[in-house]
Amino acid sequence: MNIRRFLSSSITIAEMEARKIRHDSTELWTRIIQPALWLLVFGETLNTIRAMPSGNFSYIQFITPGILAQSVLFISIFYGITVVWEKDVGIFTKLLSTPSPRSSIVLGKSLAAGIRGVFQAIMIFALALIIGVKIRFDPLDIAGVFVVVILFAMCFSSFSMFLASYLKTRDRMMGIGQALTMPLFFASNAIYPIAVMPIWLQYISIANPLSYVVDAIRSMLLSGAYGNLLVDILVLLVATVIFLTLASTTIKKLLE
Amino acid sequence: MNSDSDDPNMPEINAITADRLTKVYRDNIRAVDGISFSVKQGEIFGLLGPNGAGKTTTIKMIITLTKATSGTLHVLGVDVFKSPETVREMLGYVPQSISVDTDLTAYENLLIFSKLSYVDKMERNERIKDALEYMDLSSRAHDIVKRYSGGMMRRLEIAQALVNRPKILLLDEPSIGLDPSSKKQVWKNIKQLNQEFGVTILITTHDMNEADELCNRIAIMSEGKIAILGTPEELKRNVGGDIVTVNLTSVPSIMSLPKEIGRIINRNEKSIQILTTNGEEAIPLMADFFRGHEIRVESISINKANLDDVFMKYAKRRLEDDMYKATRITRRDFVRRAR
Repeated sequence: MNIRRFLSSSITIAEMEARKIRHDSTELWTRIIQPALWLLVFGETLNTIRAMPSGNFSYIQFITPGILAQSVLFISIFYGITVVWEKDVGIFTKLLSTPSPRSSIVLGKSLAAGIRGVFQAIMIFALALIIGVKIRFDPLDIAGVFVVVILFAMCFSSFSMFLASYLKTRDRMMGIGQALTMPLFFASNAIYPIAVMPIWLQYISIANPLSYVVDAIRSMLLSGAYGNLLVDILVLLVATVIFLTLASTTIKKLLE
Repeated sequence: MNSDSDDPNMPEINAITADRLTKVYRDNIRAVDGISFSVKQGEIFGLLGPNGAGKTTTIKMIITLTKATSGTLHVLGVDVFKSPETVREMLGYVPQSISVDTDLTAYENLLIFSKLSYVDKMERNERIKDALEYMDLSSRAHDIVKRYSGGMMRRLEIAQALVNRPKILLLDEPSIGLDPSSKKQVWKNIKQLNQEFGVTILITTHDMNEADELCNRIAIMSEGKIAILGTPEELKRNVGGDIVTVNLTSVPSIMSLPKEIGRIINRNEKSIQILTTNGEEAIPLMADFFRGHEIRVESISINKANLDDVFMKYAKRRLEDDMYKATRITRRDFVRRAR
């Protein structure tokens, strides 16, 4: 496979998505509502009653990285639906009939999910600024958060495309998306520390990529303690490569 | 038009060669059942047949969207199963359903797909501009495609083929769902692609007019097999030729026609029906013949053999046979259950 062509096709697919967002960005804006509710209602409430052992930080500080990760998870886990829709209208058939390698199409789509994730991160930073959540606005850390967000979006969007190759319909993808998001969310350190979980859930959370993402973002936005950062990013990277490879080999099944 | 293929010393490679190509789907449905055919460079080749005959599956195997169960397939000498990406580089594909991205503008559609087809960067913009002009879409190039009519979307898909310049273009039911004038326009464009740019075209359709209008050669498919293959003229001859009906003031009881005019297949006291290979050429001969025998002709009408007849003969009849079989089977089931 020609690596230059592979990369150029991936970037073109991402460009295609970016151009669509530029024509109609309504969806991006509506996606701020849910995280805003989590921060303003859930976060503020639990902040006042101080029920959660959130360490040196206020509870609302504690969950901001968690809510960011959660909203990126929502974007990515439903990404397969977009692909199924594109299959239904014939665009996907067309994409797969070009000389571009199929893996480049999967990579491009996952990069596009990354673009959406970055946009989401920017909106949550803005929201945090407005409601006065103290986070470290260090340029390097912010850049690091973007990298983690992009990787995370790529990881779960390719997981979603992998599922779509077998499930094939929008309804099923909707169902599986719903069935996956909440367990992933609750079995992570997004809204409470792993230490307060029952033991069995602690084990699950160790196998949950979301925990590593939240941990990485938290260290960059709040604590500045980078002890686990390398492990976090490594785990995420491995998961991303695995899901990208899986989705690349299965995606052609979507058309069968 | 295709100078290098006109060289008599070069053995011409076929654009597409299928040999005993078979596709069996999961439930043991033989969608394509051992078909062999070849498409020559520079021609428009039609795959005809009723819905479910295996036309689309055949196209999908050529464009590598689905794998053949057995048989071989070559595009310009390249093995489709061994080098799918090389093959896709030589092919353009317009699927049955509209495949342009309706959330992008026409220009963006052309730009993105030319990039994905690795059209040379230096030529890209020039070609896009030309294609938009050629397809009469320049004035709306920067409109979101969502607001286009069905005919314009089809034209945009053909414009994509113009930008990417594939050696072979696969068109799956290109005029489906178009109004008569858009259909004519699309036909014109297809012919231009073939004649001016030398693109070899494989087209599937169940519209006999379309096949007659466009195709140099036709294969009629039925139940995954090729029932008959030939030029439209050959196929029409195969169903017997044209029928000319001559109304006369009185029909002589004994009358035989010279062979070159045709054969009488039906007669009554006022008219005779003559079967002939070419109706238009036979009519003046008939007029002369009857005048020579001092028989007054009142009117002559001609019923041209068309591809519908061919289609009925080779595809439809088998379809009806099948439906008959199917009803018998259900009836038997019903009897069994009633017991």
